[in-house]
Amino acid sequence: MSTGDGRPDAAVALDGVRKRYGTVQALDGVSLTVERGEFFGILGPNGAGKTTLVEIVEGLRTPDSGTVSVLGESPWPRNTALLRRLGIQTQSSAFFTRLTAREHLETVAALYRLERPAALRALDLVDLGDQADRRIDQLSGGQRQRLALATALIHEPELIFLDEPTAALDPAARRSLWEVLRALKGDGRTIVHTTHHLDEAEALCDRVAIVARGAVLAVDSPRHLIKSLSAPTTLRVPAYRLGVEDVRDLPGVESAGIEGGELVISTHTANQVLLALGDLVDLEEITTRTATLEDAYLALTTTEQCRS
Amino acid sequence: MNAYTAVTRASYLAYLRDRTSVIFTFAFPLVFLIVFGMIFQGQAVDGGLSYINYIAPGVLSWGIGNAALFGVAFTLMHWRRDDLLRLIWRTPTPLPTVLGARYAVALGTGLVQAVLFTAVALAAFGLHLSGSWPLALPVLVFGITAFAALGLVVGTLANTPEAVAAIANCVMVPMAFLSGAFYPIDLMPGWLQGLSRALPLRYFDEGVTDAVGGRGGIALPFLDCAALTGFTLVFALIAAKTFRWSNRN
Repeated sequence: MSTGDGRPDAAVALDGVRKRYGTVQALDGVSLTVERGEFFGILGPNGAGKTTLVEIVEGLRTPDSGTVSVLGESPWPRNTALLRRLGIQTQSSAFFTRLTAREHLETVAALYRLERPAALRALDLVDLGDQADRRIDQLSGGQRQRLALATALIHEPELIFLDEPTAALDPAARRSLWEVLRALKGDGRTIVHTTHHLDEAEALCDRVAIVARGAVLAVDSPRHLIKSLSAPTTLRVPAYRLGVEDVRDLPGVESAGIEGGELVISTHTANQVLLALGDLVDLEEITTRTATLEDAYLALTTTEQCRS
Repeated sequence: MNAYTAVTRASYLAYLRDRTSVIFTFAFPLVFLIVFGMIFQGQAVDGGLSYINYIAPGVLSWGIGNAALFGVAFTLMHWRRDDLLRLIWRTPTPLPTVLGARYAVALGTGLVQAVLFTAVALAAFGLHLSGSWPLALPVLVFGITAFAALGLVVGTLANTPEAVAAIANCVMVPMAFLSGAFYPIDLMPGWLQGLSRALPLRYFDEGVTDAVGGRGGIALPFLDCAALTGFTLVFALIAAKTFRWSNRN
C-alpha cells in the first residue's frame, strides 16, 4: 500500500488496488487512470465494488495493497487539503434534520468555511432556487437528489464523484441534470460518474470503465467499446416490401429473417447493404439500429458471469 | 457564519421545529414534580428538608440530565445513520467543533428547563430558595456536560432511535432512584448509599439540593462539580475510543 507517484498529472491513478472485507474480495486488482477534465463513467452491477472504489479514493478506507494517487496526492491519512478539492455525492443523501434547502446548504457551506451566498449559488446551479425555503422533507425525490448534488458541489470541487445522480429523476429532470453535468465538464472539472443508465454513460462520458466482481473488465470510450464488440448493425424493412429471398444474396448481408412483420437484415457493412437496398425500396422505409453501450456492457458482464 | 455558529443554528432549528419533542422535554419534569409533590406532601425528608426542597432539585437534575443525554444521543445516532458524519468528515471542520455546537444546544435547553421548572416550583409548590441558590448554576452546567458526554456514549453504541431510547431509559430510570433523586438516600441501605457515589446523578442532585437549600456552604457544590467533571472525562474518553464515522463496517 503506497501512493502512486507515476501519474501526478492524472485526476485519479489506481494501480493494482485490492480490498477485502472478511471473505468478500471487494476490489481485486483494480488499475485505472482518470485524466483531468475527463468525464469518466463507472458501470457495473450492484456489488461490483463501485462504492468501495470511491471510498478508497476519498481516503475513507485504505486498500490492502496497490497504489492510489488523487490529484497527485495520497488520500490517506485523511487529507483535508485534498478533500477540499473533491465533491462527493453518495446515494444516501445526507441532509441536516428539519431544515430548509437553503438552511441545509448554508450549514454545509459553513462547514467548508464558505460564505452564505455559496448556498444560493449551489441551489441555482441545480435549478432549485425556487425551492430554497421549503423544508427538505417536503421536497420530491428528484428535488432531494438535486439538493444532494448541490451539497456535493457547494465548494466548487475540481474532482466530482457522483453515485447514480439521476436514479430518482423523471426523464425531463434527467435531461436537465445532464446539462448541469455537461456545464461542469465545460468548466474543466473532472467527473467520475457511476450509473446503471447506459444511455446516460453513452451520452455523457468520454470514457467508461466496466467493472464486475471487483475487477475492471474494460476501459475505453463508449464508441470504441461498442466497436470492439463488432456487433452487427440491424436493418429493418417492412416485410410487405421485400422478402428474405430478395436480399439474402446481396453483398454484405450476413443473415436475414422475418420478425414481427419486418424483414430483419444483419450486417457489418451497413453502407454497402443500404446502397443495394436503395435500388429495391425507398430508403426512408428502412430503420437502422447500431449496437449500443448496453450491448457492450451485457456482452462483457455476462461473459464474466459465465466464467465464474 | 463560522462552522460552530452554523451547526448550533442548525441544531436549534431542528430541535425547535420538533414541537412535540420540545413540549414533552419541558413537561416531563413538571409531571414528576406534581406526582412526587403529592406523594411526599407535608413530610420532612433527607436530613430535615421540606419535601419540596428535596423533590424539586431531584426531579430537576434528573429531567435536565435526561434531556441532555437523549438529545445528544439521538443527534449523534441520526448524524451517523444519515451519513452526515461522513459529510462532516470531508470538510475541514474538526469534529469537536460540530459536537461542541450540539453541546451548546443541550446547555441552552437545560438552562431554560431549569428556569421554567423553578418558576413552577416557586409559584405552585412553595419552593424555598436560599441565598446560596446561584451556586446551583455551575452545578447545572457541569451536570448537563456530564450527561451530554454520556449521550455521546449512548449515541455511539446505538444505531437506531429504538436502541437510543432503550439504552437511555435503562440508564436513567434506575439511576433516578439509586442516586437519591426520586427516593431519599437516607432511607436506603448502607451499601446502596455507597453505590450511589458511583452515579453522576448523585452529584448533580446533591449539588443542586445543597445550593438551593443553603447547605454545606460554598465548598460542597464545587466538590460536586469536580466529581461531575470526572464523569465527563470518563464518558468522553469512552465515546472517543468507540466513536464510529459510519454504520457500515
